[in-house]
Amino acid sequence: MTRGADVFTVTIRKRTGWFWGLAGLWLLLEVLFVQTAVASVGEGEHRAATISWIVVGLLAAFACFAWLRRGGPRKRGHSSGQQQEASISEPTSISSVD
Amino acid sequence: MWIRTVDRPTLSEKTADYNRFSGNDMFALYRPLKTQRDGAGSFEAEQASMAKRVMAWIAEKKPGYSLPDIQLSEGAWTVMHSTKPGSGLLSWTRISVRTPGELGTPRHTAPPAEMANTVKAAARLYGAGLVGITPMNEAYVNLQAPRENEKEKDKEIVFEDVDAPSVSDTRFVIPKKMKWVVVIAIPMDLDLLSRVPTALGDAASALGYSHSAFVVSSLAEFIRGLGYEAIPCVNDTAQSVPFALDAGIGELGRLNKLVTPEFGPSVRLCKVFTDLPMACDKPIDFGLVEFCKRCKKCADACPSRALSFDDEPSFKTRGPWNNPGHKAWFEDSYKCLEYWQKSNSACGICLVSCPYTKGNEAWVHEGVKATASIAPVADPVFRIMDNAFGYGKQRDPEQWWTKDSPSGRKG
Repeated sequence: MTRGADVFTVTIRKRTGWFWGLAGLWLLLEVLFVQTAVASVGEGEHRAATISWIVVGLLAAFACFAWLRRGGPRKRGHSSGQQQEASISEPTSISSVD
Repeated sequence: MWIRTVDRPTLSEKTADYNRFSGNDMFALYRPLKTQRDGAGSFEAEQASMAKRVMAWIAEKKPGYSLPDIQLSEGAWTVMHSTKPGSGLLSWTRISVRTPGELGTPRHTAPPAEMANTVKAAARLYGAGLVGITPMNEAYVNLQAPRENEKEKDKEIVFEDVDAPSVSDTRFVIPKKMKWVVVIAIPMDLDLLSRVPTALGDAASALGYSHSAFVVSSLAEFIRGLGYEAIPCVNDTAQSVPFALDAGIGELGRLNKLVTPEFGPSVRLCKVFTDLPMACDKPIDFGLVEFCKRCKKCADACPSRALSFDDEPSFKTRGPWNNPGHKAWFEDSYKCLEYWQKSNSACGICLVSCPYTKGNEAWVHEGVKATASIAPVADPVFRIMDNAFGYGKQRDPEQWWTKDSPSGRKG
């Protein structure tokens, strides 16, 4: 929400197909490596288990980093070129005159 | 989906040189070859030094060679050692099962597909990991049974128009009406096998053989109980690998052994010949030959350098232990067996190092095998990843006795 001279502008960002695709891939990899890590202990493959846990941690760290990076620019009122925006600039029931 | 059925096994090319094998495998050939290469008495000297080494290793409790380690393996051999081809559990005639006639009923009949399912279900119950059915091929049956000692004469194996199989002092007779072969793969205990090359690791092979003898003898009795003839065999009587290839159990890999998609090469093969009509299975292709061309991990891991590093399989055999006339990556079995003597074990490093030898708990293994089957371009990456993840490395033999696993549960 951007504070303008006369109106509040409510910006609704729609998640793109790319975002959902990457999020799905991330989730798939996390599940796969968690399963590999747990199963490798059962198989007695301790090195494989250790490496899998490290990959799980790295993927989680990457996701946290990406989430924080997304939050930063939004607070500053920037919008990504990949994102679609729907702006309401006319005074409406969800806008209020300053 | 990624295991495709095909009309002919991969590496199925054969030439006119392909004939029934003499039956003299490396075990039968090692002594004369050793004597020929290293002089008279060299075999006996090697045996004596091996015996001394074992005693020293037991005394110093060398990991994998302590008295319990050695005796674990000896105990696992018990069933297999208590039988021999044509007698005991591997009898070619009925042992104790009641015939349909004794039960006042005609022999069991059903459509071939149903009969195949019945036999496969029974085999799985008795302990088979994989079961396939293929037509009898006389070319895969040995010419004779290897003699058990120097004084014994060779016993020839013949096909005749007779009603029942028979065994005499000079001959094994297989009825020509036995047109079907049930091929069985018994998976070995992977946790134990990962302790090779040690006496402890040998227990996995020993147990595989004993399980094989149990499974084929039980299945043969089951088939006889349905009113048909059956001949149970482990490694004896015929070459198991070509039958297993035809039955769709696996493909022939770089280690010149059968590699299955489920258990890799870590299986023991056995088979039952029968006159019970059944629907046959087709050979399979899961991309193994292409994978083996690039991988070479087993050849790298082999301490005796017995396995081929050639990029392509060929018809070039490495010695009289190989049956000529077919395409393969032939191995130097003499070098292999010489290492067995040095390590006082049946080795098996090639079996464990194969990237297809994996536990069945992690989903990723199935994904990798499927990808290798449909996209061979990824094969080199899988070889690198296999090493990076530490697969195929020897596990500490001493830990086996205390670890909490199905094969070594804590008291």
